Formats: sequence, C-alpha cells, structure tokens
Amino acid sequence: MPFTSVLALHRRGFLQSGAACALAGLSGPAFAAVGNVTPQSEGFAARLRPGSARVRMVGDEAPATAVWTYNGVEPGPALRLRQGAPFRAGVENGLTEATTVHWHGIRLPNAMDGVPGLTQPTILPGRGFEYAFTPPDAGTFWYHSHENSLVQMGRGLVGALIVEEREPPAVDRDLLWVIQDWRLARNAQIAPGFNNRMEAAMDGRVGNTVTINGRLPETLQVRAGERVRLRLLNAAIARIMALRFEGHRPVIVAVDGQPCDPHEPADGRILLGPAMRADVMLDMQGEPGHAYRVVDDFYGRLAYTLVSLSYNASAPLRPHPVDAPLRLPRNPVPRPDLASAVLHEVRLQGGMMGGMSGGGMGGGMMGMGSGAAWAINGQSMTGDGNPDMPPLFRIDRGRSCVLDFRNETAWWHPMHLHGHSFNVLSRDSVPVPHDEWGDTVLVRPRERVRVAFVADNPGDWMLHCHVMNHQVGGLMTTIRVT
Amino acid sequence: MTRRKFAALLMVTATTIPAILRPLELRAAAPIPVTLYKNPSCTCCEGYAQYLDQNGFKVDVKPTNDLAEISRKAGIPEDLQGCHTSFIGDYVVDGHVPVRTIRKLLDEKPAIAGITLPGMPAGTPGMPGEKAGPLTIYAVSRDGTPPRVFDVD
Repeated sequence: MPFTSVLALHRRGFLQSGAACALAGLSGPAFAAVGNVTPQSEGFAARLRPGSARVRMVGDEAPATAVWTYNGVEPGPALRLRQGAPFRAGVENGLTEATTVHWHGIRLPNAMDGVPGLTQPTILPGRGFEYAFTPPDAGTFWYHSHENSLVQMGRGLVGALIVEEREPPAVDRDLLWVIQDWRLARNAQIAPGFNNRMEAAMDGRVGNTVTINGRLPETLQVRAGERVRLRLLNAAIARIMALRFEGHRPVIVAVDGQPCDPHEPADGRILLGPAMRADVMLDMQGEPGHAYRVVDDFYGRLAYTLVSLSYNASAPLRPHPVDAPLRLPRNPVPRPDLASAVLHEVRLQGGMMGGMSGGGMGGGMMGMGSGAAWAINGQSMTGDGNPDMPPLFRIDRGRSCVLDFRNETAWWHPMHLHGHSFNVLSRDSVPVPHDEWGDTVLVRPRERVRVAFVADNPGDWMLHCHVMNHQVGGLMTTIRVT
Repeated sequence: MTRRKFAALLMVTATTIPAILRPLELRAAAPIPVTLYKNPSCTCCEGYAQYLDQNGFKVDVKPTNDLAEISRKAGIPEDLQGCHTSFIGDYVVDGHVPVRTIRKLLDEKPAIAGITLPGMPAGTPGMPGEKAGPLTIYAVSRDGTPPRVFDVD
C-alpha cells in the first residue's frame, strides 16, 4: 500500500511518541516561545537571528526536523509589544542566503516594511538591519521573511507579533496558536520541490503535517467555565483552514488584528486563509472530564482533527459564562470616505482552469516558460518582486480608495495589502454582515470582493496573494501612495 | 481521548484500502480498477474519472494534498507531470491519457514505471476545448532511463 496518505502515516508513525510527550508536560499547544523583547528607556527592543536549526515538531522519538528559524525556535519567538510604544528589532542574518523581515499588518513607515529592493536593500548573509517602528494598532500581527519567501517561510521563518491593548479585555487566559503546515517526508524532513509548477498553478504547496506553535498538537488542557482569548494565526504558505470547535461557540472579536463586531462565524467555521488571523473568545462550556475536537474541514473529504480541547475534572470555574463585554477597543484606523473614494479594479487571473492563455489553461501553462502562472490586470510580477515594474496605480496621500477584487480564477486567493488596514465592504455586491477590517482578504473562486482604505501611508506598497506559490508566480503588484 | 484512538479516528477519515487490493472477479468484461489521486479542488480530474468509468474502468477517486509527492515517487519527472496521478495494475498513468493508450500499455506490458501526458491540454479526455494538435504521451521509468515517446494521439 505504497500511497497511503502521508498525513495518516505521520499521525500513526508518531503515535508512539505521544506518551513521552505527555510525560514531559508538552501535550498542550498553548505556549509559543515567548519573545526576547526587552524594555528600553524608550519602548522595547528585540534581536532576531534568522538561521538554520533542528526542532522536534512531530514527537520526541521522531528525528528532529531541519528548519530555518528566528533565534533557534520554531516558530520564531512571539514578540509582545505595547500599543503606541516604540519598538526596535536588530536582525542579524545567520542564513547562507539574503533575507528581510516583513512586519505583517503593522501600519508602519515604508522603509521599515521589509520588502527587498522596494523598501530596503536586502540583508546579505552575515549582515544586519535595524528595524524601528511604533505600532499604532493593538492586536494579533506577525512577522516573516519577504525574500525568497516561498522557501524561507516554508522552511519556518515566521513568528507572531502581539501588540497589547492599553486596557486588555477580561479573560482567564490569552493563548496563541501559530498554525503552520509542513510537507514532511517519512524521515520527518521537509520534502523538496517548493517550486512544483503544477502546484503553483493550482492551490500551492499544501502540506501533510499541521503544527500548532511548532508541535504536532495532541490536546489543549482546559477548565470548564474559563474564558479564553485564542489568537489564531494561519502561518502556512498555502493551506486554507476552516476550523470548527465541536461543542463550543467561538466568537470572533478581531480579524487580522483589527477589532470587528463580535460575531459567531457563519456555519460555525472560522475561515482562515494563509496570513490571516482571528482573535476568538472561547467560553469553555463543555463538560468536565470530556474532550472536544477542533476540526479543520476546509478540504472536504480531507478533514482532520487539528487538536482536542480536553477538560480536566475540576468543577466549573464559575457557574455562568462571564458577562464582560466582548468588543475590543477600536484601533485608530481612519474610516474611508466612500463618497469621494477612487475605485480601482484588481483582476486576479491565471492558474489551472483559469483560461489565462485560452484553451482551459491547456498546454499554455506548461508552455509559458517565464514561471508566471498568474497575473493581476494582465501583468505578472514574479519572484521577490520587480521594483522597475510600474505600480498598478498611484493615489494621492489621504485619498480614500476602493479595491475591487475580481477573482477570474478557479482558486482561492488571500490578498494582502502592505502598510494599511482596509474595511471589507462587500462580497459579490452583498454588503458584509459585520463591520470587518483586515490586511488580508480571502477571495473565493470567481468571487468579487470590495475593500476600502484611506491611502494615508506614503510609499510603494506590495499588494499580493499570500499563497506563496501564487505570489512568486505572478499574483503580485504594487500601489504608490504620494 | 487517547492518542491511539485519536490517530485511529484519523486513519478512518484519511485512508481506505486502495481498489487494487480488493478481490476481483476475473472476467474479461470486468472493469479495470483505477486509483486516481487528484487535487481536492481540481474539477477537470473528475471529468477524466467519469471518462474512464464510461470506458471499461472503475475509478476510485482520492483527493489529496500530496499529489506532487505521489507523482514524484511514482517516477514522473516534474516537467512531465499531469494534473492528477492514476495507478492501474502495476503502472502509473499521469494526466489526461486517452483510454486507447492505456489499453496499449496494459496489452504490451512494457518494463516501465508508467506513462504521462504532461499538463492539462485542451480537448483531452475530461478537458474542455479543442485539441490544438497531436498529443505526445511519454513512457517514464524509475531506473534513470530518460523519458521516451510511448504514443502519439
């Protein structure tokens, strides 16, 4: 039976390691490595050293997996900053290739955005770069490589960046799940072939092993009655997730770090494209001594249990759910003026079954030769980007802008705009039901999604799909704010 | 839930016995079993599976996110990959290969890993559109022999 699902093989093969893992007290995926953020006379500072490391992600008896990490931990250390407090990060490149760090979702000065060739010179091996910015918004953000990013992120160069509210909401625990997706071979090493052309024109390099905070998770220990703020980060390079919390009613209170109207997700599924975050409030209303599955069923028949919530036997912490308000304080993101906004169409094109080169993508894709399988408005910016390519459009600083995404492809695209957070307006001309903001919007096949933002941050900013194979394959452009 | 039960649960959802391992009635007219691995979101592959079903085969369609690995391990070079990977008897059949060529493979029983029709050419079985010209189906091996032309359709 040579072609059994590798995911199943991993789960079974690594089963034996479960006991050892539990004994070591590591059964819960609750804790990510805490960042080495140090208080300074003004604000906070951190040092980040991208380099190679070996980590045990699938159990203590399986071989350690060779990854690329920040500071030797996988994922990179979770950095906790404070809203409005200056932050500095000294990056020392310990890789054998160039890299940069992008602070995903933070509205920061263009020169700090971490895009090689566009906002800064790349950081060569052995060299460094000092990033400095003051996060204006509280919320769940992250950082990752933006150079050779399909491979560098796929090998592990990601980490969470949490900006704490000045007055955080009342919860019993504040948990972070950095969810990553790996394609591991049976020796627990990362499988080769990041640039597979067929996958690049489909849904990208979706893996076979999903980890939470760098470990193949088993259970999360919880207590009845507690309220948990769960920060979900889809740090995968291609896998889309639809999480269902069996027996629970999670309430989404923020998307991509930006507070939204607290709401239960449609169909009870929390849909997270690559790069997206959701802060959910989870009241633990299950029975003491019982376990409840967290299931990811985005790929239908390939549904799997991500992790289980395991209730200890203790009596509920409190008789009734907390009635503290769920709404988070709004961030100082300017609200766009739709009456005066300029509208720009962003047509997403290409891919398998997309008809970019006619004939149902036919031999066209294989014959394109340039490495471009995708395009935005007919133009393909590939690889790490091409600063010489003209921006998609220029807009006056301070002007409101509507981006009208038209997905002409047969595939899903999480579209990410740098330097700004946008208000999601409508899907297929139907207004979205909740006031929702984000920096990455998941656009369904053939769907039309409108978002709006105030172009208040000067500079050339990336706008690209965050399925990394799609980005490097042409689903990338820039906009210019002057 | 114990770790073992947890994993067992997964096995049920993720793995079933491939059709090739099931006992078969050995009649000439019995449909030939095929296991077809496809991307969970690709619809052309479903069209191809129907085409095989209508032409004397019985296809077990298995969506997977590991298509690239399955195809690579089966001996298909990346630049000759089709958009789905089938296993028929001892052979791998990659992409939208016409039934006539599959029967040629099964009749001649060459000492190869299998055959592939690269990409998703229009007008091939399961694909919409008009065929732009003759299609070349390649024979691939796992012993390092370079791919050679197996058939032209």
